[in-house]
Amino acid sequence: MFRNNYDNDSVTYSPTGRLFQVEYALEAIKQGSATVGLVSKTHVVLVALKRNAEELGSYQKKIIEIDDHMGIALAGLAPDARVLSNYLRQQAMNSKMVFNRPLSITKAAFSIADKAQENTQQYGGRPYGVGLLVGGVDETGPHLFEFQPSGSVLEYHGAALGARSQAGRTLLERSLEEIKTASRQELIKLGLLALRDTLAQDKELTAANTSVSVVGIDEKFTLYDDEDVQQWLDLLDSTANSRNRDTHDAPEDDNDNTTAPDAGVDTEGDVPVQDAD
Amino acid sequence: MNHGPYDWGRPSDDTYGAYNHQIAAANNSQFPKMNTQQPIVTGTSVIAVKYQDGIVLAADNLGSYGSLARFSDIERLLPVGDSTIVGISGDISDLQQIERILDDLQVQDSYDMEKPNLKPEHVHEYLSRVFYNRRSKMDPLWNSTIVAGLSSTNELVLKYADLLGVTYSSPAIATGFGAHLAIPLLRRKVETEEDASKLTEEEAVELVRNCMKVLFYRDARSIDKYSLAVISQSRKKIDIHKGLRCEDMKWEFAKHIRGYGAPQL
Amino acid sequence: MSSIGTGYDLSNAIFSPDGRNFQVEYASKAVENAGTSIGIKCRDGVVLAVEKIQTSKLLVAGRNKRIQSIDRHIGVAYSGIIPDGRHFVNRGRDEAQSFKSLYKDPIKVPNLIDRVGLYVQNYTCANSVRPFGINAIVGGVDDDGAHLYMIEPSGVYWGYCGTAIGKGRQTAKAELEKLDLPNISVKDGVKEAARIIYLAHEDNKDKEFELEISWVSQSETGGRHEFIPQELFDAAVQYAQEEDDDEEEEDEDVEVQ
Repeated sequence: MFRNNYDNDSVTYSPTGRLFQVEYALEAIKQGSATVGLVSKTHVVLVALKRNAEELGSYQKKIIEIDDHMGIALAGLAPDARVLSNYLRQQAMNSKMVFNRPLSITKAAFSIADKAQENTQQYGGRPYGVGLLVGGVDETGPHLFEFQPSGSVLEYHGAALGARSQAGRTLLERSLEEIKTASRQELIKLGLLALRDTLAQDKELTAANTSVSVVGIDEKFTLYDDEDVQQWLDLLDSTANSRNRDTHDAPEDDNDNTTAPDAGVDTEGDVPVQDAD
Repeated sequence: MNHGPYDWGRPSDDTYGAYNHQIAAANNSQFPKMNTQQPIVTGTSVIAVKYQDGIVLAADNLGSYGSLARFSDIERLLPVGDSTIVGISGDISDLQQIERILDDLQVQDSYDMEKPNLKPEHVHEYLSRVFYNRRSKMDPLWNSTIVAGLSSTNELVLKYADLLGVTYSSPAIATGFGAHLAIPLLRRKVETEEDASKLTEEEAVELVRNCMKVLFYRDARSIDKYSLAVISQSRKKIDIHKGLRCEDMKWEFAKHIRGYGAPQL
Repeated sequence: MSSIGTGYDLSNAIFSPDGRNFQVEYASKAVENAGTSIGIKCRDGVVLAVEKIQTSKLLVAGRNKRIQSIDRHIGVAYSGIIPDGRHFVNRGRDEAQSFKSLYKDPIKVPNLIDRVGLYVQNYTCANSVRPFGINAIVGGVDDDGAHLYMIEPSGVYWGYCGTAIGKGRQTAKAELEKLDLPNISVKDGVKEAARIIYLAHEDNKDKEFELEISWVSQSETGGRHEFIPQELFDAAVQYAQEEDDDEEEEDEDVEVQ
């Protein structure tokens, strides 16, 4: 099922100057379950939807702590994310040992960006198959970056990655002003609302499948999983996707979501494809 | 010392016996590897003391080649960014190497063209890692340094780091000969942080200038020309005064010293 | 001779029978539709400016800087595959630092461009790598004055008084040619740069953009490459928007006549 002759490796340009292998790597992100990040003036929140391969299996970790002041959330190939998170942890430790200062979030994000770029210009490897949200607080305040396998890193007020993430992004765009001034709790709630919008029809957020993390100015990185998540889920009126509920309490949602390119495509719900998480 | 071309720089046979030429001809089987064994051109003490609103540092401008006063225009107080001063004593070529390392560090820090974020606590940590790394390779940078400045939270930083990777912090620090001669004088005024909080800027400058004078009296590797830096917390500023002189000295006692000045018959 | 289907365009470092390296040409295609970057050489320095296309409302305004520094006195603006641009700049920084550690002086701009030119050219010589997907505009000042160069994916570089790359390059070049380069001051250069980017954006009108301007000049920045101060930026944007409106009015006048 080759699409063309130019997509076999990441060192060949197509006649229009595209790099298909890199673009395919970006597709791998969409195979993973969704994750959402947002940043206020004081806090960064990462939330994620975890998957389990089978009913009795454990859920794949989606949020990884890097240091007291920084964490990442992933969508795509989890093993690739572990490689990158190990690298980030090394960078963070090095910054503390050599400079006696916490690693700057910008430097952290660009360090993995430059690492990922190498895999798009040299033969022998493949690009990373994972997208990351890098969130943390440093001397210049809270920051949220979106990392892509292409080596692109951009700073956002709010970002979403993974399956049906466009729906989450739509909510974030609509709540942009709220996000900027939100309190810690409001920020978590907005994050969960965006994550909820990415859910497939028959799914809802549960303490088992939801991860929440917070880091703030004067607040160390904290990850909430399992029963600790319940307090945050209790903030929501419902844990099911508003699009899939019969109650039309938020009718304006419908129009927005139909414009999302990948919304509702994956109707099989949370069945993992290619082991992406 | 013999002054014949073949023996230049070696101890005289009369005093020390014949020179063991194996030392100079030593090869790799006798010494698998040999690195810096001593400094060559040296700078003497750097002294620093805290006062209620900042820190005063001073270092003279001499570069000594052994006992020869070889260079009289060496600047040993280096500004790093706009909130740090590094005062360096010891080997001058290693000082110049550190100057380059710190310059590279500043360039790297400003790559993003964002607000500079290289503060004294970072410079001190980095410098001490460089020192420790080099000494662990048995190839030290032969210096002791004082790092002073205003931290990211605008607090005072006054710390020491040397060729062994040793570090400490104190309200009064001196390197080299100053550790013997200036420290007692500095501590007479500033023993604790509390003492420092009572000392005014004028008193601190006066104290440091007096120490520089005493050091010039007693330290044969010093010169009466020096630089003095004043770091001020309230002004958020560092001023470096260059070419200062030791003043109001009295040298009448010198004529009683044997070997001083013209030969005494 | 066409490229597609011949098989001579499937790998880097391959000549076609008529002596072309198609992969290098394709790399240039990656640049052509990117946001516009320009460089202006002035009497007393260099101005760089980019049209930064904003792909999302959620992006943080004023962050995600695109103009970078290679050394204190050298700046770079590039269009194309952005991560490739960072790779290019990182190499430039290594070269500049290595020069300084050997010779103590900051590297001169022609020497720097010579070195990075070799590096970029190397990525056209082996099939284990691909050429850089950027055109980089490198500007700086040294003891010999101001310098402006643009380097292409092939590794070739030329010196310029004014140059532009990206989607709006034709518009931008036409405007640059009207200026009396390099005889204007950097202060005027900044205003013109803003105006030209606003004009060039007409070619990309459906997308939001953010303007970024930097300069390096002995007289204005003491030989350091910096972003221009906010007041100057605001003045330049105001000038650019006024000129933009005037132009539209002129256009309307023509139609009336």
